[in-house]
Amino acid sequence: MKISEADVEYVAKLAMLQVADDEKRELAEQLSRIVEYVEQLNKLDVSRIEPTAQVVTSVKHAIRDDRVAARTGSSDAGRTVKLFKVPKVITDR
Amino acid sequence: MNLKNITAEKLVSLYSNRGFTVTEVVTSTYQEIERIDKDIRAFITLCPLRALEEARRMDEQMASGEQVGPLAGVPVAIKDNIAIRDIQTTCGSRILEGYVPPYTATAVERLRRAGAIVIGKTNLDEFAMGSSTENSAFFVTRNPHDLDRVPGGSSGGSAASVASGTSVLALGSDTGGSVRTPASFCGVVGVKPTYGRVSRYGLVAFASSLDQIGTLSKSVRESAQMLEVICGFDHFDSTSADHAVDEFVKNLDRPIKGVRIGVPKEYFIGGIDPEVKSKIESGIHLYEGLGCDIQEISLPHTEYAIAAYYVIATAEASSNLARYDGVRYGIRKAGNSALQEMYRETRHSGFGKEVQRRILLGTYALSAGYYDAYYLKALKVRTLILRDFQQAFERVDIILTPTSPTVAFKIGEKTADPLSMYLSDLCTITCNLAGLPGISVPCGRNSQGLPIGLQLMANHFQESLMLRVAHQFEKAGGFSL
Repeated sequence: MKISEADVEYVAKLAMLQVADDEKRELAEQLSRIVEYVEQLNKLDVSRIEPTAQVVTSVKHAIRDDRVAARTGSSDAGRTVKLFKVPKVITDR
Repeated sequence: MNLKNITAEKLVSLYSNRGFTVTEVVTSTYQEIERIDKDIRAFITLCPLRALEEARRMDEQMASGEQVGPLAGVPVAIKDNIAIRDIQTTCGSRILEGYVPPYTATAVERLRRAGAIVIGKTNLDEFAMGSSTENSAFFVTRNPHDLDRVPGGSSGGSAASVASGTSVLALGSDTGGSVRTPASFCGVVGVKPTYGRVSRYGLVAFASSLDQIGTLSKSVRESAQMLEVICGFDHFDSTSADHAVDEFVKNLDRPIKGVRIGVPKEYFIGGIDPEVKSKIESGIHLYEGLGCDIQEISLPHTEYAIAAYYVIATAEASSNLARYDGVRYGIRKAGNSALQEMYRETRHSGFGKEVQRRILLGTYALSAGYYDAYYLKALKVRTLILRDFQQAFERVDIILTPTSPTVAFKIGEKTADPLSMYLSDLCTITCNLAGLPGISVPCGRNSQGLPIGLQLMANHFQESLMLRVAHQFEKAGGFSL
């Protein structure tokens, strides 16, 4: 499938990236080539195959007892500060 | 002192015979870096004050006859996507500018407990995305065997440092071959353990279901020693494997007669350099001579591995890299504009081209309407690739392939065409998709003197056998075939 400049723009928006106008065409071409390469997967019939998201090895139950463990966090965690300056989160758009 | 011809065991024995002090070795390592690393550029950050302080303490311990660890006083280099408290971690990216982690990765912590001394942090492709270390936001690392060529990637700095003698051992990370390819290109040993073997705590995530920390060294024995130290369960990593760590070093010299080695025909077709092919064939003959049972096998879905990998890896990356938004880490652009604009501008100016390309590709593969066609399909193909290996390991113990179809390529040769760079990962990515352990060992050089790598893969948690088979290859002269 060909990826158009409009697709690039749309996906960039989803990914919170900005793409300059002069980069759109090159990106659309590069991504099209990669996606066309990926489409060889369509030659395989995988309708009855289960997906593998993770090759599970011998993983211990990831939930531990609710006990206080050695802390590894930032030493800044308890720092006293009065104010944080943050970007504007409410806009009219 | 150049460390090119000194192994970790040799160094440890020199210390115990009072041949050198740790302080002398660490000091001269930095002098050597000063002398040669301006051409190779393996390091992003050096930490001499800290290393010399640790060296001094180690010398005191040794002088007072205190028990020291198996890597006592050994200079190590750490890939700069592995966190060390109070030393900046860049991941080769502008977006992490100024980020200093408040904690240390488990693998580094364990190396330190074994006495190793961290010399510095090494260059990499930005967020480990690349096969040549050309995607670093800072500079290109050069191959010590030919400065016009790449060291391989993404752990190119770590491999180039070990190969040029500016560290004895190094840690890298391997998501699709990022330890094994640079090992092959730089003529050193590189191991990617079974998924979950080494804690990923402190390793900056690229593709979480594929990432694994690995080792680089000049000999198999040194990697075995390092792995004994860094492998094992860690409650800070929820995917850490709770599996006993064998005595890798002790087992190295056990005979390998009768070990069944499979050679998959799919790894020898199209695009493989004839000189690489011929050296790998010599390696196979060497194993025959050692009494191994060589069998031709088939891993029929190999041709789909790159396609599946680049969907899965980019999809996971697009999600993992969402955290770099100018709020939590590193740089922030347009701090006074609205939030979404700030996110976009920060990410646009902080990420390099390849990283942005992969985020776009991964986001596309996960987006509504394409999820089933790309991402889910790739996960199903991953199942087929895993099954290929499961079936093969019913017949053989080890699988032998080239590490890379070519020797180190010229700087700039593949940067214009991302797909051609992806295709160079052909031989290494199946290992990550299937979660298997893999090792690259030197297997002679081509007519221009450039190193060639031979790859061995084993079933899950069979590192001990894999290291033994690799060690016997080294002992039989395989490294200089």
